[in-house]
Amino acid sequence: MQSANMLLRKIVRSSVLPFAAQHRMQKDLFPLSRTLSLSLRLEQDKSCEPTEKLDLDEWKKVMKSGLQEEVSETVSEPKELSSLAAARETLEMWRLAGRAVPENISEEQLKTFMECPSKSAKKKYLKYLHLKELRKKNDKRKMDEKRERRLEAQDQASKTDETKKSSFVCMWSSTMNKAYNWRAAQSMIFGQPLVFDMSYEKEMSVREVTNTVRQIVLSESCNRRSVDPFHIHFCNFKDDSLYHREFINQYREAWGKLLITVTDQCYTEIFPKDKLIYLTADSPKVMKTFDHDKIYIVGSMVDKSIKTGLSLARAKRLGLETAALPLEKYLLWTTGAKNLTLDQMMHILLTLKDTADWKKALEFVPKRKYCGFVNKPVKELKKTLDLINTLKHGRGREEVQKQFAKSYPKK
Amino acid sequence: VQPPEKPLQAEEWNKLREGFQSPEIFEEVMLNSMIRCNSPIDVAKSLLTHLAKRNGDIAYNVLVKYLTLCVQQRQVSEIRDVYDIMKVRFKILESGAYKLLIKGLSSSDQWRMALALLEEVKKIMIPSRTCYESCIKAAIRHQEMKLAFELYDEMLAKDVVPTLGVLQSFFDFSRGIEDAELQKELFGILLYLRENQIYPHRTFMRSIKLWFESIPGANWRGRLTKIKDSGQCPVCNHQLEDSNLTEEEYSNLSERIIRDVIHGTDTFRKTSPQEFEAFQTFVESRLPFDIVIDGLNVSHIKPRKMQCENLFDAINCLAKENTRLLVLGRKHMLMNSSNWKREIMKEMQNKADFFFAENISEDDAFLLYATLRSGKHCKFVTRDFLRDHKACLPDSLTRHLFRKWQRGHQIVFSPAAEGRSIKFLFFSVFSQQPAFSYDCVVQTTGDTWHIPYKDVFEEKYSYQVPRKWLCIQQK
Repeated sequence: MQSANMLLRKIVRSSVLPFAAQHRMQKDLFPLSRTLSLSLRLEQDKSCEPTEKLDLDEWKKVMKSGLQEEVSETVSEPKELSSLAAARETLEMWRLAGRAVPENISEEQLKTFMECPSKSAKKKYLKYLHLKELRKKNDKRKMDEKRERRLEAQDQASKTDETKKSSFVCMWSSTMNKAYNWRAAQSMIFGQPLVFDMSYEKEMSVREVTNTVRQIVLSESCNRRSVDPFHIHFCNFKDDSLYHREFINQYREAWGKLLITVTDQCYTEIFPKDKLIYLTADSPKVMKTFDHDKIYIVGSMVDKSIKTGLSLARAKRLGLETAALPLEKYLLWTTGAKNLTLDQMMHILLTLKDTADWKKALEFVPKRKYCGFVNKPVKELKKTLDLINTLKHGRGREEVQKQFAKSYPKK
Repeated sequence: VQPPEKPLQAEEWNKLREGFQSPEIFEEVMLNSMIRCNSPIDVAKSLLTHLAKRNGDIAYNVLVKYLTLCVQQRQVSEIRDVYDIMKVRFKILESGAYKLLIKGLSSSDQWRMALALLEEVKKIMIPSRTCYESCIKAAIRHQEMKLAFELYDEMLAKDVVPTLGVLQSFFDFSRGIEDAELQKELFGILLYLRENQIYPHRTFMRSIKLWFESIPGANWRGRLTKIKDSGQCPVCNHQLEDSNLTEEEYSNLSERIIRDVIHGTDTFRKTSPQEFEAFQTFVESRLPFDIVIDGLNVSHIKPRKMQCENLFDAINCLAKENTRLLVLGRKHMLMNSSNWKREIMKEMQNKADFFFAENISEDDAFLLYATLRSGKHCKFVTRDFLRDHKACLPDSLTRHLFRKWQRGHQIVFSPAAEGRSIKFLFFSVFSQQPAFSYDCVVQTTGDTWHIPYKDVFEEKYSYQVPRKWLCIQQK
């Protein structure tokens, strides 16, 4: 405490001295300045010292009160809590140091944080929580703003005209839902099956499972809204699995009323093997057309680390036919992995089913991943591409070829 | 922003702050630029005073920034004062502040306080390597060798990798001291370099050399040299350790390759159980091979030639020496196509054994298995660095073994000239020279030490090994 005081006093003193020097330089110009600067210094000393002392005392008080609380907490549950509290404290310090750390953290999150195996894993997890928190706050702010605007608009509307004439009662969403559900119910009887293989839980982290489930929810909703929905099957689905818990988190009560088939059986037990086609980006076979008699299987997996060939291995083990989307054939691929998200897959498959138009279907591939559509086979295009490049850059033919070979490796 | 050259008064700071585009972060930005320009500490102090007066408090990150400046300028008393303030204000500190405090205090005569701080850090997390570095260096500087080695051992026990700087200071400050215990410890460091395949850089090497030569009465003499391709040291004519693995290492490695690279989490990912079994029986019935060739890789050496011709040339080149060859390929090579002519394939199959894997299987895994099964003399041919397979090995020790084995056994073809005459040259992937017959690692025989080192200026890839050596011998 004392030393802190000393320091602050030192800061004040040393910062004042150079000023005095500065003023002294002006002495020749203003003969009175010396006394002026002296009086200034005195004033400063008086004005700041008491406030500094006050501040320091305040810190002390805050510190002490905080300590007492901690002590009373630790008494009740001795060891576990203290380590948790220590972690909480560290987090708080990191936040003060300006790192990406969430402001509020739940007990459970804190435990996950402590279980992270390395420093970088901890950092990553905290950053994730931090961003999540920021997003949530932003969303809430936007919601509030929207509500205010809506209320204002309502006020105005009620003032201007009171009666609107319309032959329909305004009940869009529920009517639409009824229509969608009707279609989905029909698809459960007559529709083409589409299988989500839910057997990848072991290969994924908790976050990956969460992402997977979110993607499936999106796929399910876009399927429901389509003109001719698939009959969705969740196969290899274990009760009380992580998937299950996440689904309940997402759907709440609606989980029991979904118009899909959920089973713990494998797709090979439900459908004849020769009708199944496993869709995987690693497949050596490229899908040419969408077959309305086949049953396509999509692996429910988000792969943030590099686990190539996992779904291909699964199909190989069961002796199933595999297929990959003809992305290379139709798109000039630039960056990114060839594996798409589940909802993108669903959009593509639905479009194919309705229109059999690859160009339309592949519109759902994220734009950042390709630079354009190819209407001719790549082989034919190669010559023109070469020519363009040589004309453009005046590069040697060989170099161009090399570049081309890189972006289009031979199978 | 340019920091002012002299301490400013509150009004002047206020003026500056208002002129700044985003006043909320003015202090941070200002302190950052002070750190960058290494401004006089008084300037920073005046800013802090101004802050304290305005807000009645100084934020933690601002204090840390101020601390950075103090450490940068070695203002020991200031560092202590900041620490005292922080200790009162906050119950624990965060790693950045601890690191700064330890760094600042360890280079002063109050270095024991840095040790106390290190203890404090240990309570909440594993200290970083730089924290240990500062403390160990401080202990060494004050000739507390025992303490330094205690910290060093503790660091290793916690899997914190020591910096080369720390290891070097051990040698620098032990010069001319006659102490059997100390000598043993320093030899221990050299063995640590050996075990982890770390190569010292030039200045570190010099420290090692000087230390050896300074041991009273031991008569060590060090000289810089290059090792001959045969593995003989030109200075002392000593033959270096050969690059072969020991029996135990060898069996360990092949076991790991089968378990982690070929099978991994799921045998179906790289092959299938049936296929692997078929391959195993195929290999067992024809053992041992002298050279195993990655057919597809070799077939791409000259891009302008037909792929099967490239392979044919390679096989001809190797078959002359009356060696048993195994070529690994995929089934599509058997289909008559523009790149794979059936007649040539037939002819090749008379000269070498062929195994064709499924088109979607990984032939590299088979390559590794066949080579390891054939025994220590067997080499393999591919341009691939096999990094992805090395990455499948779970621990660094096995990965080192893999690298060592690869250094001694991998051969790369390189087309000699673009002319008509087809001439292939063998190279090791790593150095554009024949596969190493000696092991490139710190080694000793008791009365000699051979230490490979790298030039600091020379860029070294992780797969390259240094060519320069320090030879130390006892006369």
